[in-house]
Amino acid sequence: MNSILAKGLISQSALKKVIISQRVTERNVLVAIANTFYGRKQIGKREVVGFGITGSYIYFDKPDFPMPAIRFREDDDYIKKLREKEKGDWKKLTIDEKKALYRASFCSTIAEISAPTGEWKSVAAGVLFLMATSLWVFAALKIFFYPGLPPTMSKEAKFRQLREKLILQVDPIDGISSKWDYDNNRWKK
Amino acid sequence: MLRTLLRTTRLAVATVPKIEASCVRQMSEVKNPGLVMPKHGRGETEEEFDARYEAYFNNPNIDGWEIRKGINDMQGLDLIPEPKIIIACLKACRRVNDYALATRYLEAIKYKCGKRVKEVYPYILQEIKPTLDELGISTPEELGYDKPELALVNPFDIH
Repeated sequence: MNSILAKGLISQSALKKVIISQRVTERNVLVAIANTFYGRKQIGKREVVGFGITGSYIYFDKPDFPMPAIRFREDDDYIKKLREKEKGDWKKLTIDEKKALYRASFCSTIAEISAPTGEWKSVAAGVLFLMATSLWVFAALKIFFYPGLPPTMSKEAKFRQLREKLILQVDPIDGISSKWDYDNNRWKK
Repeated sequence: MLRTLLRTTRLAVATVPKIEASCVRQMSEVKNPGLVMPKHGRGETEEEFDARYEAYFNNPNIDGWEIRKGINDMQGLDLIPEPKIIIACLKACRRVNDYALATRYLEAIKYKCGKRVKEVYPYILQEIKPTLDELGISTPEELGYDKPELALVNPFDIH
């Protein structure tokens, strides 16, 4: 930049204008991109009425954020008439009109959002199915694949081990050998 | 030169506490203007909280955006709003001519009652009944919104 200025190819004010126009173009492009993906182009003519949950133009029914950022419906002729009537006395609105107004702003009532969906049944079914399958697989492995228990688990082997422990006087203070009466060759009473 | 410098320093030292004190006095005189939480180091009593939100909803120039913000904020707190706050909010809904807001707010209050809905909700309805009658607002029960009215298809089951 400075070199261009120094050579006198362009005046300072002209350069400033060029830079500003470039920046304006860049900003316009960015805004256009943002509007295309995140902006009001995605919501049609629905009215933006609040901040909502994240500040984006999203309709979302959530009991702990009861007020979404945009209305659920675009205003058609009927709703426009109702909005005019709404400015008057609310006692003159019929129940149906009140409901229409509500459904223009919101999709589901909070009772509908928090109604049970019965989804737990399929979840429970899936969990029980997996548990049953794994039990069958375990049983099959046990029957067809695993060798039997090792010989040290037989009754004779266990008896032999106990005898050796007593001969070696394992744990004589308060363990197994303390319970053996060595004088009479039997368990203490 | 040095003398003037000294004098200005002395002046500054002398005036700073005065300015601070006057600021503090002013801040304590001004009521909490909006939803600004008190600074840390000082708790907020329940009365102050109620007054803050009541004043917020009683603002004559409130718009739908601010009402929604107030409701969404309060919905996230561990409390059920006092009937006087609810009344102020319903009147604010009336001022901005948005009927749906009032109904939605009543539903949100009912949801907020949680497991104790049978104790708290009738009390709140009883307290705000005059306002409901005055403004012509129907309760969610009168609109049939206490039970699910429409069953929406789960978006995951559409295809």
